[in-house]
Amino acid sequence: MIEQLGNGLLLGIIIAVASVALSLLYGVTRIVNFAHGEIIALGAIATLFLSSPIDSRVLFLDRFSPLGNNFYLSVLISVLFCGLFGGILEFFLFRPLRKAEVGNIAVLVVTIGLSLFLRHIYLLLNAKPQNFPLELQRRQTYLFFDMTPRNFRVLILGIIVMVLVGLLLNYTKIGKAMRAVRDSNDLASVSGINSDNIILFTWISSSMLAGLAGVFQATINDVRYNMGFLILLLIFAGTVLGGIGTSFGAMVGGFIIGIVVNVSVGLPFMEGHTEAKNAIALAIMIIILLFRPQGIFGEKERLS
Amino acid sequence: MNKTVIECNAIAAGYVKGLNILQGVDLIINEKEIVSIIGPNGAGKSTLLKAIMGLIDISAGRFFVNGHEKTNTPTHQIVKEGVGYVPQVENIFPSLTIEENLEIGSWTLNKNIKQTISKTFDDFPMLKERRKDKAGNLSGGQRQILALARSLVTSPTILLLDEPSAGLSPVAIKEVFETVKEINSKGVAILLVEQNAKRALSFSDRGYVLDQGRNAYQGKGHELLDDPRVIDLYLGKL
Repeated sequence: MIEQLGNGLLLGIIIAVASVALSLLYGVTRIVNFAHGEIIALGAIATLFLSSPIDSRVLFLDRFSPLGNNFYLSVLISVLFCGLFGGILEFFLFRPLRKAEVGNIAVLVVTIGLSLFLRHIYLLLNAKPQNFPLELQRRQTYLFFDMTPRNFRVLILGIIVMVLVGLLLNYTKIGKAMRAVRDSNDLASVSGINSDNIILFTWISSSMLAGLAGVFQATINDVRYNMGFLILLLIFAGTVLGGIGTSFGAMVGGFIIGIVVNVSVGLPFMEGHTEAKNAIALAIMIIILLFRPQGIFGEKERLS
Repeated sequence: MNKTVIECNAIAAGYVKGLNILQGVDLIINEKEIVSIIGPNGAGKSTLLKAIMGLIDISAGRFFVNGHEKTNTPTHQIVKEGVGYVPQVENIFPSLTIEENLEIGSWTLNKNIKQTISKTFDDFPMLKERRKDKAGNLSGGQRQILALARSLVTSPTILLLDEPSAGLSPVAIKEVFETVKEINSKGVAILLVEQNAKRALSFSDRGYVLDQGRNAYQGKGHELLDDPRVIDLYLGKL
């Protein structure tokens, strides 16, 4: 159980970071982004490419290595690259669609198409799972759970990122502007906010968070072309569980889902059926939504 | 003769390309005036305000603010020209606190943000009391007051109001109109769209009557009130 709790916390923080990213984007743009998983994978793939030893071939490419083998620098560049990629998607794809007043469902289908397209590009680059070039570490006990020092660092960094996102949304000008656009795009514009800029910023920050979640995921497991897609359902579950569009809810919901998925592996009746671990988490999501349709932290809208 | 703040020349606009609601509307508002737009449902009153604010595209005609052409200028830039707007619905940010609602608008000023907000709180003590409350928890009348206050922190020289009395109790309506009068007395021109033609015209210096996206009649507020054609067409239920 102790081991599962440690794994649960790790998956929890990954799902939480990815859910916040998805929730921010949905809140501000009303886009349900099915390509979110591929941005997660992009973060991991870019890091793998940048951080692998110079003489190795990754992704069927001879590794180009201007950074040396600096892992942290590779992560930083990859996360920034994901932000750039998100910005490009908004600027050249989703902004034109928005200006043409393409409906939400059509945009959703576009994101599904984008997801498939990107996933298969990754598959073309490399089909087999690979690990980051990091040395093996022994588990240690932290308080009441076991994990490697590296994974413990992932957990701490994830928590710091969550706190920073919270501070950004609540205390900075751009964070307040994002919440204003989330409430009403038109009203934000007539209050003097350039909502196109806010949406662009949201795409960039959401994609950076997704890329970071991908690096976390790959640090704990490995890099796969479909690694984002595999956890996308859990990310949606976390977002919905916390209350759609609320960032704090997404954090908590994501965390709960991640912990439940891994802790349920330790349940007696799950022995030999660990591949069904997502089922328990999704069942809990459904039960909670039956009693609280707006999610744990979602608020019922007061109409008028 | 007062300076012209807003001028619309034969504006055509609509929500869908090729389907114009406004079919060439003319309108002039001078500084410090109260002007109302009346007309039956679907005449294009709210559409006209949205076209002015750049929320929908103007497909023909021209639009000027303080003598400068601003046809199809992005909304946030129209606001910086001193045009404030209170939509009929969705006119506050419900998930933001009352203080944050005011802050958002004040950023157009770039300076004296704190003073502007504290002055607004002095003008509206109800908002000051509840500054940390979510705006979504306010009653209909209080929301309308917050919506007015929110538009005022952008320091407009003209304020566009889309049916500020819609859905309010008689007491709240009275309060809203008194607030609007007070805002006007500080030198802010008002362009008012109203369903209740009698109330609007008796409150205004001048009025425009729109019908099917075109100017039908215009004149001084009380003259329109007494005009038998206007009464026949739109004010039958007086």
